[in-house]
Amino acid sequence: MRNNIGKYAATIAWPLLVTALILLTWELSVRALGIRSIILPPPSAVFEAMAQRHDLLLAHLWPSLYLTVLGFLLSVIGGIFVAVLITYSAIVRKGFYPVIVVSQVIPKISIAPLFIVWFGTGTMSSLLLAFLVAFFPMTINAAMGFESIDEDIHRMARTFMGSRWQIFWKIRMPNALPYIFGGMKISITLAIIGVIVSEFVASQEGIGYLIKLAGGLLDTPLMLAAIVALSISGLALYAIIAAAESWAVYWQPPPEAVGVGGG
Amino acid sequence: MRSAVASPPPGLAPACARGDGAAIVRIAALKKTFGDLEAIRQLSFDVGDGEFLSVLGPSGCGKSTLLMMIAGLIDPTAGEIRIQDAKVAGPRREVGVVFQSPVLLPWRTVLQNVLFPIELLKLPRPQYRRRALELLRMAKIDEFAGLLPRQLSGGMRQRVAICRALVHDPSILLMDEPFSALDAITRDEMAVELQRIWQANRKTVIFVTHSIREAAFLSDRVLVMGRRPATIIDELAIDLPRPRHTAMTEDETFNRLVRHLRKAIEASHAE
Repeated sequence: MRNNIGKYAATIAWPLLVTALILLTWELSVRALGIRSIILPPPSAVFEAMAQRHDLLLAHLWPSLYLTVLGFLLSVIGGIFVAVLITYSAIVRKGFYPVIVVSQVIPKISIAPLFIVWFGTGTMSSLLLAFLVAFFPMTINAAMGFESIDEDIHRMARTFMGSRWQIFWKIRMPNALPYIFGGMKISITLAIIGVIVSEFVASQEGIGYLIKLAGGLLDTPLMLAAIVALSISGLALYAIIAAAESWAVYWQPPPEAVGVGGG
Repeated sequence: MRSAVASPPPGLAPACARGDGAAIVRIAALKKTFGDLEAIRQLSFDVGDGEFLSVLGPSGCGKSTLLMMIAGLIDPTAGEIRIQDAKVAGPRREVGVVFQSPVLLPWRTVLQNVLFPIELLKLPRPQYRRRALELLRMAKIDEFAGLLPRQLSGGMRQRVAICRALVHDPSILLMDEPFSALDAITRDEMAVELQRIWQANRKTVIFVTHSIREAAFLSDRVLVMGRRPATIIDELAIDLPRPRHTAMTEDETFNRLVRHLRKAIEASHAE
């Protein structure tokens, strides 16, 4: 146990050290070379901007995160629902599924201006774009999870006269959980991108709007502060999903334990 | 039936089950083809109530297909299978199956895995929970009831699978090369364990294997199947007293039986 904590500390310590070194180099070279803050502010200036203008940052961060999470949740529900249809309906599997897959060649971000035309510059456009980009990985992962049942397990359940309903809830669903969480981790990241891009295109609030605004004002420290705030939020959302995963998928050893042996 | 599980009287060696009951499984003119491939041709035999019958044959001879048909998972091309005088047309409650691999559900504990058939069959859980624990105790894995399958060794997992196949108290146990994925030492151990569990439960067992020694050690009767398309090429009664011990496999009587079975199989290869 202590050994595990030691290993965990080691895996954290090295990246932290490298990050600190990068920030230090950045700070020193900006100062030494006398680069103007408009071009590249030193890390200290970015942190200063974050501390001084946290009210402004948070005011724009919340609506973006709210739409991200909402769009993400819709994509999870919608993705699982469509995955069930793909699993059980031959028409959906053979007819719609290939269309959904091929439609992924459309760079979905490029649809953002079209959504503005259809749904206006409000929250609806951001929400829908987040949903649209997050939906596909959810669907494909959940469908894969429902499908990838070991043939022997299916047979075993049939010998005990399991119904389709029982096989779905007692076998397919738990079997799909690791896949669903895999899809969620991709989707949450994409949902953020969807919201930010939509806010870039047209909006009056949100962290994407703030980044664009700060860019227009040549307030580079504020811009970087917004990006850092956004990144931290994204990391937090991802961590929440990863934590939920290790709780829900309790039967799989965590990835870092693989190969350790015995544990 | 259920009370028989509780504890077998110590030292009691039950008589050979063969012939002391009516046939519980009847197989008549069974035939199975997959497209052009003829897997089973004209197979007919009976299995007595409480009998331990082994079906011995080389890999890919169609013996697993036979077992899956008895389990009601595959339909025969022609002929019929009757269990307790009812024609098999799908999975049946009085049958329990042990597969080649344990096929445990990784998200369920040992006890939850054993109770899985009870949930599917919608039987009263508290009552069968006691029975499941009893079976786990008999298989000497009761102390692992709360563990997940990945925390068990291969041999223990297969024991869980055997308990699961027995939990709903089926009268027939079908076993499809259940020990073939285990190492040689564990395999011998499991054969002894299986015999013990069988003696305590008195189920009819149809045991498919490609191990001659395993068939000879466990069975009341061995059917030898030849290469595809499968037919019965020999039948041998094993009249060794029970319980049988690993030491018995050194005896001349046992080895004579093994030689006989090997010759039968080799003869089918020579054809």
